Amino acid sequence: MEEFKNNEYAVEMYKIVKEFNDVKAIDNVDFLVKNGSIHGLLGENGAGKTTLMNVLYGLYHPEQGEVIIKGIKSDINSPTKAISLGIGMIHQHFMLARPFSVVENVMLGRKSRKGILLDTKETAEDLVALAEKYKMKIDPYAKIWQLSVGEQQRVEILTALYQGAEILILDEPTAVLTPQEVDGLFDTLREMKNDGKAIILITHKLEEIVCIVDEVTVLRDGVMIGNVEVDCNTTKSELTKMMVGRDVLFNFEKSLNKTGEKKLEIKNIKVLNDKNFLALDGFSLDIYAGEIIGLAGVDGNGQKELCEALTGIRKVESGEVKLDTINIENKPPLFSIQKGIAHIPEDRHITGLALDWSLKKNLILKTFKDNSKFGLIDEKKIQERWENARIAYDIKANSGDDSARDLSGGNQQKVILARELENKPAIVIANQPTRGLDIGATEYVRQKILDAKGDGAGVLLVSADLEEILQLSDRIAVIYGGELMGILPSGSDVKKIGELMMGKKLEVKQNA
Amino acid sequence: MLSNIFTVGFFVSLLASTIRLATPILLPALGQIYTQRAGILNLSVEGTMTIGAVAGFAATFYSGSLWLGMLAGMVFGLFYGLLMAILSVTLRANQVIAGVALNILAAGLAVFFYRVIFGIQSLPPQVEPFKMLRIPILSNIPVIGVIFFQHNIIVYLAFVMVVVTWFILEKTTFGLKIRAVGENPKAADSKGIGVSKYRYSAIVIGGIYAGAAGAFMSIGYLNIFTESIIGGRGFIAVAVVIFARFLPIRAMWGALLFGLATALQLRLQALGIDVANQLMLMLPYAITIIALVLASKKADFPSAYTIPYSRKDR
Amino acid sequence: MRNKLIKNLNQVLLVLGIIVLALLVGAIIISFSGNSPLEAYFSMFNGAFGSKQRFMEVLVRMIPLVIMALGTSVAFKAQLWNIGGDGQFIMGSILAMAVSLYSGLPAIIGVPVSIIAAMIGGGLWSGLAGWLKVKFNANEVITTLMLNYIAIYFLSFLVYGPMMDAQGSKMPQTALVPEAYRLPLFESGNRLHMGIFMALILVVIMIFFWKSTVGFKIDLLGQGEKVTTYSGVSVKKMIVLTMVISGLLSGIAGWTEVYGVQYRLLEGITSGYGSIAIVIALMGGLNPIGILISGFFFSALLVGGATMQRMTDIPYSIVDIVQGLIITFIIARTAINFKEIKNKIARRMGHVK
Repeated sequence: MEEFKNNEYAVEMYKIVKEFNDVKAIDNVDFLVKNGSIHGLLGENGAGKTTLMNVLYGLYHPEQGEVIIKGIKSDINSPTKAISLGIGMIHQHFMLARPFSVVENVMLGRKSRKGILLDTKETAEDLVALAEKYKMKIDPYAKIWQLSVGEQQRVEILTALYQGAEILILDEPTAVLTPQEVDGLFDTLREMKNDGKAIILITHKLEEIVCIVDEVTVLRDGVMIGNVEVDCNTTKSELTKMMVGRDVLFNFEKSLNKTGEKKLEIKNIKVLNDKNFLALDGFSLDIYAGEIIGLAGVDGNGQKELCEALTGIRKVESGEVKLDTINIENKPPLFSIQKGIAHIPEDRHITGLALDWSLKKNLILKTFKDNSKFGLIDEKKIQERWENARIAYDIKANSGDDSARDLSGGNQQKVILARELENKPAIVIANQPTRGLDIGATEYVRQKILDAKGDGAGVLLVSADLEEILQLSDRIAVIYGGELMGILPSGSDVKKIGELMMGKKLEVKQNA
Repeated sequence: MLSNIFTVGFFVSLLASTIRLATPILLPALGQIYTQRAGILNLSVEGTMTIGAVAGFAATFYSGSLWLGMLAGMVFGLFYGLLMAILSVTLRANQVIAGVALNILAAGLAVFFYRVIFGIQSLPPQVEPFKMLRIPILSNIPVIGVIFFQHNIIVYLAFVMVVVTWFILEKTTFGLKIRAVGENPKAADSKGIGVSKYRYSAIVIGGIYAGAAGAFMSIGYLNIFTESIIGGRGFIAVAVVIFARFLPIRAMWGALLFGLATALQLRLQALGIDVANQLMLMLPYAITIIALVLASKKADFPSAYTIPYSRKDR
Repeated sequence: MRNKLIKNLNQVLLVLGIIVLALLVGAIIISFSGNSPLEAYFSMFNGAFGSKQRFMEVLVRMIPLVIMALGTSVAFKAQLWNIGGDGQFIMGSILAMAVSLYSGLPAIIGVPVSIIAAMIGGGLWSGLAGWLKVKFNANEVITTLMLNYIAIYFLSFLVYGPMMDAQGSKMPQTALVPEAYRLPLFESGNRLHMGIFMALILVVIMIFFWKSTVGFKIDLLGQGEKVTTYSGVSVKKMIVLTMVISGLLSGIAGWTEVYGVQYRLLEGITSGYGSIAIVIALMGGLNPIGILISGFFFSALLVGGATMQRMTDIPYSIVDIVQGLIITFIIARTAINFKEIKNKIARRMGHVK
């Protein structure tokens, strides 16, 4: 194998095809990564980036194609094989068992030196040493659930390195981090690159990685569009066009900023999360009719709990929530539904839709009582309702009897919009409304949110996507650790927002 | 009058039979700890025990060897566990329904083959069960000796298995992997651990323990096979595991608790004391519910409990 | 509409296929015992349909089974695994019996009261499991199961003790239900009683129930707790309500058995109907009409099996085996993704070329 030692490429994938149920998720893709480089894999949601990397990691078996690792043709049929070839993968959703300790998680992926017995102590010692080498700090006996998201990512990286990874795949690694944590991650990645390791960054956000990657491969609809060498000075528009297949101008016409009267008043509320820790710690915010207030923040800083508290799904421990003059905190969800608070939840598959139900029935989830006669569901009425919604919201489905599961993400979200916005709500709470959607659907959803505002609704737009916040919001609120860090005017500097997202409180008084 | 009943002798024999009666609950419970830790709720343990009981009985009856009987119980338990594994892991069926189905099937199969093998006889066929094994010296200690050291070999082995099970789950790589596939199968999969393989192992191990416990009932505790020989012990074992929060040592205490309730009922009845015998029989089941109520709030169920795994669900 | 018909037809054909398969496997097992499977099935069929009296017996058996399966289907729709049908049946029949023994009411009032008592008995027993789940997060599978045993021993306690027939033989059973209270028979010579109307009415009621807002909410609960809460429906209330409805139906089943067949309480009155009801509910696709049909089928199997045991050497447990096989195949069939397998085979073939 000597002759391959000088091979330039760590990874060579040729003509890869991967199908799911007869649909080609990856179609004839070539993908090459050099040793000692950081390589970006760019594409929209659903472009096939993660699928391609799951093929490389042995989670999926491709229908066709050839994979060559460090010059040796390899049939990677399982993660075990991938690991043995020096490939490590850090998934977007961390692959950690939460009640386990750090060291137990690390031992899962590695053969024990003591045969069938666990080598806990030795592994812990090695881990601390390895962390030091890459300038990280870690307590090997801490339980995963006790760690912050950034720390959990470090555990994942350490696990891969400890398994001897020479090729490291990171799936959307920056999505869950603050801008400052991202810098820390990039320092570690550069250190690894200098060690000669090959690093693959999967992302749909070019701007975040353009300064660290050496080269970028663009995927669109499962097809490779191009391979470009980039650096900090590369202009983004060309790459974005490659990614999307057309020019995108997310230029929404913002309607005049006619701030109406105060609609919703959140006063100093405290709310617990599922683990009974304080998720909201004295959070206050006012929402006015006819405005969009964007709530920026890193995921998991209390946004979900806020949305649930406002819609009656979660208990408010103290403080007040007033709609006009009525207190709505700790009222049952039905109360806020009847008072016209629309809710576009973060997870449409589990919360927003009854996936196995027909579209018709999904449209009346909240209004089934109004759509019934003598206690029986009025089939004729809900059929009409479906016809109207299908046209008004451009839902692509064969019939109202199709189950929600069979629709694309974008069409599913349209069903939710049709239900939530139908009755001209007073308040719209939209939590990550475009997450996981393609560009077309994203544009559509954003337009509908603007329309709702135009109709006089007060909109709370929760998003981890700063771009989205900046485009749509009239005011930008920032949440960190369950507290409001401050409110900035629309068009504020991203750096400034980033600082607040890191937990720096705005010093000027609120509602300037 | 009460002082005549509650003598030292009464308590000694009560506690001794507590230990004996705890055995057929402890064994399947230990097996179910593997299974449930791996994320599978296997209700068919009841049926598996019935299968083990008839297999153990028939093997012993024809070979004359009690150990061959135990082996037969375990082997048949293994295969019946395999059936559950196919349904719940490979076919990803609802575990409760699969358990109910296999229990009906097991009841049918066990009785059918018992009838086919032994025909209809006026006296039920019997075997010579496992004999009491007095542990030298220890069994001569007054009180303690009778309670703890005058049982048959299977009883001792069952209690030894408590420590073995704990050790395997907490100290070996195999145990860590079993726990991992119940906790976060996706993570386990991404680390190169075959989720199906370890879930199969966990269910099959549970089946072996249950088969052994079934055989213990027909050739260790009794000496005959009857249709209702298991009498819900398999279900109680499942409850004990939840009650014990999936920990072997606590499962032992749970099994002893049920052993005590049953033993108390048997002892009082034998003494001819007129407490309504049926109300005593209810006790273990009522205690199960109470224990479940007390434990459920705190019980840290494996995150993937009763959820089938597929790579595609991402 | 047409599509729906074709879909239903497919479903029926599949279930028929599964039954045939289960009978085939059963035949293999029977031949192990040195008996002729043909003889066994013939005597089973004959035992169920061979005479008017036997056929009526099938219908008699069907009454409680269909009602219980309807109850089971309510809980299963909501993904609540109530496997305590037996216990709910028993508690229903105990309270119903108590009315006829102790109330002294005239039949015209006493009979309706006894139905309500049966509903309360069954409903509270399963409602208890629902409440324990809501309040303490106690798994309903285990609690309903344990409540079965408690009910069985409670019944046994009553028929050996407080409710034992004082005048009659010292048998563990209660006195008879007064004749005025009993469900009338259609004709002498067989046991078919008016309870059959109760079963049919309940099937019709359940068809409308699933179109009602309450049915909507129960079905929604089966889609997940999060989407239920989000839709403004209280999960906790629905869990308890669903369990109560499920159990009260089983209670009614107990009432029909006491007032229509046994005329008294005795040990073993459920004869394990609970697990058969689960099988019936699942084979019927949790759909009232489906339950009626599959209820008829399993009743025929049970009655035919009992006759077969009397006429031949083949043990009755073959009925359990066939039941177990049918339900196992049904689970397996819903779980197997035929399309995926077909694709896989097609691909293999493609590769060979």
